[in-house]
Amino acid sequence: MTAFVVAAIAMLVAMVPAGITIARGALADAVVGFEFLTSVAVMVFALLAEGFQRSSLFEFPVILAVLLFGSGLVFVRALERWL
Amino acid sequence: MVREVITDALLALAVLTVAASALGVAIMRTPYARLHYVTPAAVVAPVLVALAVFVTEGLNVYTGGAVIALVFVIASAPFLSHATIRAMRVREHGDWRGSGGPESPDRQEKRDRRPETQDAPR
Repeated sequence: MTAFVVAAIAMLVAMVPAGITIARGALADAVVGFEFLTSVAVMVFALLAEGFQRSSLFEFPVILAVLLFGSGLVFVRALERWL
Repeated sequence: MVREVITDALLALAVLTVAASALGVAIMRTPYARLHYVTPAAVVAPVLVALAVFVTEGLNVYTGGAVIALVFVIASAPFLSHATIRAMRVREHGDWRGSGGPESPDRQEKRDRRPETQDAPR
C-alpha cells in the first residue's frame, strides 16, 4: 500500500464529519458539507489513481471535478429559488 | 529516498489540511462560518496533492491528469463559495445585498425616513 492510497483512505475518513453535517444539519449546512465532500472526493480519486498507477483512472477525477462543479451550481441555484 | 520523504510530507500536510477543514465544517455553528473551512480543503490540499504527484512522477501522463483535475477544483471553489453565500443571503433577506446594498428594503426604509429625522427638533 503506497502513501497515496493511505492518504486517500485518511481523506475518506475525514469525510465522515461532513457527512454527519449533511445528515443532521439544516439545508444551508448540508450544501456546505456537499461542497466540502465534492472537493475531497476529487482528491481521493486522484490519489487512488496515482496509488494504483493506472493512468486511465485519472480521467475519472477530471470528469468528476467538472460535473461536481456544475451540480454544485445547480444545487445552489435550486436552494436560492425553490428550496 | 528524498523524493519519497518529500512526497510523504506533502501528502501528510494535505491530509492534515483536509482533516482540520472537516472538523471546522462539523464544529462551526452557522453555514457562513462552515463555508470558510471548505476553502483550505478545496484550494490548499489539492495544491499539495498535485505537488506530491509531481515529485513522485515528474512530468508525465499521471501528473497531467492529476494537475488538470486539481486545478479545476482550485479554480471552481471560489465561484461555488460565492454562489453559495449569495443563495443563503437570498434565502435569509430576499435579496443578496441584504441590509447593506443600495436597493435593499432596509436601505430604502432608511432613505424614506431621512427627511423626518432632519426636520425633527434637536
